[in-house]
Amino acid sequence: MQTVRRVVAAGSALAVLAGTASCGGGDSSGQGDQTLTIAAVNNADLDRLRDLNQNFLDQHSGVNIEWVSQSENELRETVSTDVGTEGGRFDVVTVGTFEAQIWAEEGLLEPLTDMPDGFEAGAFVPSIRKALTPQDEMLAAPFYGESSFTMYRTDLFKEAGVEMPDQPTWSFIIDAAKKISEETSADGICLRGKPGWGENMGFVTAMAHSYSARWFDEDWRAQLDSDAWLEATADYLELAEYAPSTVTRNGYQENLKLFQDGECGIWVDATIAASSVTDSEESSVADSVDFAPAPGAGENGSSNWLWAWSLAIPSGSEHKDLAKEYVAWATSAEYIELAASEYGWANVPAGARSDLYENSKYTDAAPFADLVQQSIDSADPTKPTSEPVPYEGIQYVNVAAFQSIGNAVGQQMTDAISGEISGEQALENSQWVADRVIERVRLLEDQQGSD
Amino acid sequence: MARSVEEIDREIKQTDEELLPVADHERHGAKHFLGLYTAEHVAGTEFVFGATFVILGAGIYDILIGLVIGNTLAILSFWLITTPIARGARVSLYRYLDMIGGDAVSKLYNAANTIIFGAIAAAMITVSATAVRRVVGFPAQTEGYPTHIGFIVLAVILAAVTVLVVAFGFNALAEFATICGPWLMVMFTAGGLVLLPALAESVTGVTTIDGWGEFVDIAGATVFTGITPEGEPGIGLWEVAGFAWAANVLTHFALIDMAWLRYAKKNIYGLCTATGMMFGHYVAWISAGFMGAATAAITLQSITVLAPGDVAWYALGWAGYITVIVGGWTTANACLYRAGLAAQGVFPSMPRWKTTLIVGIGVIVAACFPFVYRNFLPLVTYAGVALVPIGGVIFAEHHLFHRMGLTKYWSRFKGVVNYPAIITWGLSLAFAVGIDTLGFPYYYLFLPTWAFSIGVYLFLARRAGAGGDFTEEQKEEDLWNERALLAKERAAEERPPVEVRDTTTLSRALRAIWIVTCLVMLTYSFIVLFDSPDIFTYLQHRETWYTIAITGTVIYFGTAYWELQRGKQIAKRAEREHRAEEGQKDEDQSEDAKVNA
Repeated sequence: MQTVRRVVAAGSALAVLAGTASCGGGDSSGQGDQTLTIAAVNNADLDRLRDLNQNFLDQHSGVNIEWVSQSENELRETVSTDVGTEGGRFDVVTVGTFEAQIWAEEGLLEPLTDMPDGFEAGAFVPSIRKALTPQDEMLAAPFYGESSFTMYRTDLFKEAGVEMPDQPTWSFIIDAAKKISEETSADGICLRGKPGWGENMGFVTAMAHSYSARWFDEDWRAQLDSDAWLEATADYLELAEYAPSTVTRNGYQENLKLFQDGECGIWVDATIAASSVTDSEESSVADSVDFAPAPGAGENGSSNWLWAWSLAIPSGSEHKDLAKEYVAWATSAEYIELAASEYGWANVPAGARSDLYENSKYTDAAPFADLVQQSIDSADPTKPTSEPVPYEGIQYVNVAAFQSIGNAVGQQMTDAISGEISGEQALENSQWVADRVIERVRLLEDQQGSD
Repeated sequence: MARSVEEIDREIKQTDEELLPVADHERHGAKHFLGLYTAEHVAGTEFVFGATFVILGAGIYDILIGLVIGNTLAILSFWLITTPIARGARVSLYRYLDMIGGDAVSKLYNAANTIIFGAIAAAMITVSATAVRRVVGFPAQTEGYPTHIGFIVLAVILAAVTVLVVAFGFNALAEFATICGPWLMVMFTAGGLVLLPALAESVTGVTTIDGWGEFVDIAGATVFTGITPEGEPGIGLWEVAGFAWAANVLTHFALIDMAWLRYAKKNIYGLCTATGMMFGHYVAWISAGFMGAATAAITLQSITVLAPGDVAWYALGWAGYITVIVGGWTTANACLYRAGLAAQGVFPSMPRWKTTLIVGIGVIVAACFPFVYRNFLPLVTYAGVALVPIGGVIFAEHHLFHRMGLTKYWSRFKGVVNYPAIITWGLSLAFAVGIDTLGFPYYYLFLPTWAFSIGVYLFLARRAGAGGDFTEEQKEEDLWNERALLAKERAAEERPPVEVRDTTTLSRALRAIWIVTCLVMLTYSFIVLFDSPDIFTYLQHRETWYTIAITGTVIYFGTAYWELQRGKQIAKRAEREHRAEEGQKDEDQSEDAKVNA
C-alpha cells in the first residue's frame, strides 16, 4: 500500500507538471518594442487619425501601431469578442455610444482614470461626456461627436417661396418638401428609407421621440401602437412621397451624394455631413446650403440626436498605460491642430471638444459650427421623449436587442414607403416584433437583475 | 493447489453479476448502442464548444474537414481497439484491470477513474443547473464556488435524481438514453439552423445566405475566424482532428467503454459509436458554434462568456432549457455509471448500486461548484493522457502477450504486485510530460504515450516473469470463465429471456407520432432558415419555431415514454405468460410422474 501511495503522489506531481507545462503560454510583453493594436471603424475621420499616427510615434519611441479598420457591423463582432473575452488583442477600440453604454454595464472597458497630462476630460462636450460616463466613471473618450439638424437649399427655398423658421416643425418640413417638389426640378427632401436600425430607424426613432412617442413604457411593454407613433409614421411616409424615387435604398451615404449633387431641397441628418455638403470640391451646391435646427413636433422638443465615435480601452489590454497615452493624444487639442494643418479646419473631428467651437479658425471655416454645438449640447439621450422611458437614446434604444428589433421595424417602414403595406399595418407588425423580442430579452435580463 | 469445480461454482455464485463475464444471450444489437452513444455525446456541454472554437481560432475548413478526420479516427479506435478487447474479455475495464494488474493497480486506476468520471458527471449536472437557474430565478454563479443557496439546492436535487436513476442499473440508463437520442439530434440540428439567419444578418445585413461561399464567409467572420481572440493564428486542420480524436481517449484508447461494448454482439458494432462521434462531436459542435455566434451577435457579448442556457434560449426557447438539462443529464448518467463501476473495482465486495450511491454523494457536492464545469476541457484532456498508459498495458496483455510467449494475468498467477504496470504508468506519464515540454502536438500526446506504455510494459513484464509457466493457473482461469458463463446460461435457461416485439397498433401509433413530431420540428427549422427573406419574416418564423419546439418536445417525450412503458409491460406480460405455461408444464409432468408411479 505504501508503494501505491508513493506512486500516486509521483503520478499527481507529474500530472500537475504536465498541466503546468501544457498550460503555459508565456507573456512576451514588456520586452523591447511595444505594439499598440487599434480597432477602428472605417470612416473618414478615423482614417485621417490613422494617417496621422506618425506624430504619436514620433513622441513615443519604441512603439509600433497596428491598425485594424472594419465596417461598423464587422467592428462590433470583432470588438465584442475581444472585449468580452478580455482577450487582449486590442489596446484601443472605437466604440459608438450605443455599444459603449452596453459594454459599460458589463464592466468590459477600462475606466479612463489616472490619465496622462494633456487629457482634458473637462474639454469634452458635456452631453457626450455624460453619455460616456455611466456611474461616474468615464469609460471612453469622444473622438468626434455629432447631432442632427436640417440642411437645406437656399436657392430652392427661394424658388419655391418658402422661408425657413428659426425652429422648424415637421409640419413645416413636410409643406416645404411638398412645395419644392411641385415648384422646382429637385425632390423635396433626401430621406433615410433604407431599412436598418442605424439607417432609417435612426431617423424614424428620433422623429417619433419628438412626437412624444416611445418604444417601450417603464415596464418594457412595446408602445408602437400608440397615437404618437401613428402620427409620426404618417408624417414620415408623407415625407417619403417627396423624396427621390430611390428612397427605399437610401441611407446616409446615398443621401449625402444626392444632396451634394443637388437632387434634394432638404436633408435632415447627421451634423457630420455639414462639412461635406459645403465643400466645393465635393458638393455642387456648396454655396447654396444653409442650416437650421432639427425639426420638432411643436412643444415636444426637437429631434436632434446624439452620437459619438469614441476611443475606449478594453479591460484585457496588456498596454493600458500606452493606450491611455494614445487616447489622450488622439482626443487632444494638439491633435485637432495637427488635423487642421493637414486637412483643413473644416475636416477636423468635430463635436467632441467644446473648445473647438471657441476657435475662430474652426468657426470661420465651418459656418455651421454654432448650430452644431447647440444641437449637440441640447441633445439629452437620458430623456429622449416627454414620456417616461426605461431606456436611453434618441435615435436608438440602448439594449443589444434593438439591433434586430430596429432592423425588423425598419423593414416594415421601408415596405410601407414602397406601398406594400399601410403605415398602420407596419406599426402593427412592428408592435408585435418589438413586444416578442423584448419579452425574450427581458426574461433573461430580469434574472440577471437579481444577480 | 487447483480449486475444484464446486469451489469455483460457489465463488461464482457469490460474485456480483456485474463482475461476471457477459454471456452471449446478454448481448445487444446495434440499435442499443446507436441510441446510447447519441445521448451521451450530445450533451449540454456541446453548447460551449462554440466558445472553444473561438478561443482556439479554428477556421471553417479546419472544422469541417478536421472534425471528420478526428471523429472518424475515434470511431475506428472504438471499432478496432476497444470493442475487440471488450468482447474478448467480456468484462468491464475495471474488472479486467483487476485481473491483469492486480489489486494495487486496479485500486489506483479505479480511484482515478472514480474521481474523473465523478467530476465529469458533476460538470454535466452543473451545466444543467445553469439553465434551470434561469427558470427559477437564481442568480448566475460567477465564482468557482456557489454563491446562492438556491443554486446549491438546485444542483443537489438534479444530482440526486441523476444518482437514483443510475443506481437502477444499465438497462434503465440505456432506456432513458434511447428516448433522448433522436430528440437531442433534432434539437441540436434545428438550433443551429434557426439562428443562422440571425448570424447572417449580423454580418451581411440580410437574413438570407446566398450559397456555400457566403456561408463560409459568415462562418469565417463570426465563429470560425481562423484567429484567436488575441489575434494570433488559430489551430489548423490537424489540430482540430487531434482535438476531436483526443476528446474521447478516455473511452477508446483508455478502454473505459469496455463497460458498454462488452455487450456488443459483434465487433463491428463499435461503429455504432458513429452516432455519438459524427453527430455529437460534428454536427452538434458546429451547430453549437453557430448558435453561440448568433447569440453573441444578438446580445453584443463574446461567445466565450455566454452560458449554455442563454444560447439554448435564443436558439430553442423553452425547449432549449430542456435540451441543456437533458443533454447534461444523459451524459451525467453515463459518467456516473462508469464512476460507480470504477468504485466497485476499489470495493469489489460492494454491489454496484451501493458504490454508485456513495460516489453520488461526492458528485452531489461537486455539482455545486462551477469550478468543475469551467475546467471541463482541461479535465478530460489531461485525464485521457493520464489514463491511456493503462489502456496500453491492457492492450499488451490482451493482444500481444500470447504472441510473445507471455501469459495474460501473469502477476495474479504469480501472486505478486504488478510493479511493471505501476512503473509503466509512471514512466509513461513522465514520457508524456517530456514530449509535451518538447513541443509535441498537444492533442496527439495520447498516441505516443500509449505506444510507449505498450513497449515498456512488454519489456518490464517479461523481466518480472510474465514468460513463466502458468499452465495450471491458466487452466483454472479458463475453467472459471467457463463455469461462470455456464452458470449464466443455466440461469437463462431456467428463466429464459422472453423476446417479444411490441407490434400493437397503439404502440405503432405512438412511435409514428414521435417520429412525425421530430420531422415536423426539423422541417420547420429548415423553413426558418430558407424562408426568411427579411428580418421581420425571420422573427415571425422564429417565434413560431419556439412554440413548435416546446410543443413538439412535450409530445415527443409523452409518446416516446408511453411507447417505452407499453413495450416493457408487454414484455413483462409475455414473460408472465411464459412462466405460467412453464409452471403448468411442470405440474403436468409431476402429475404424470405420480400417475405412472
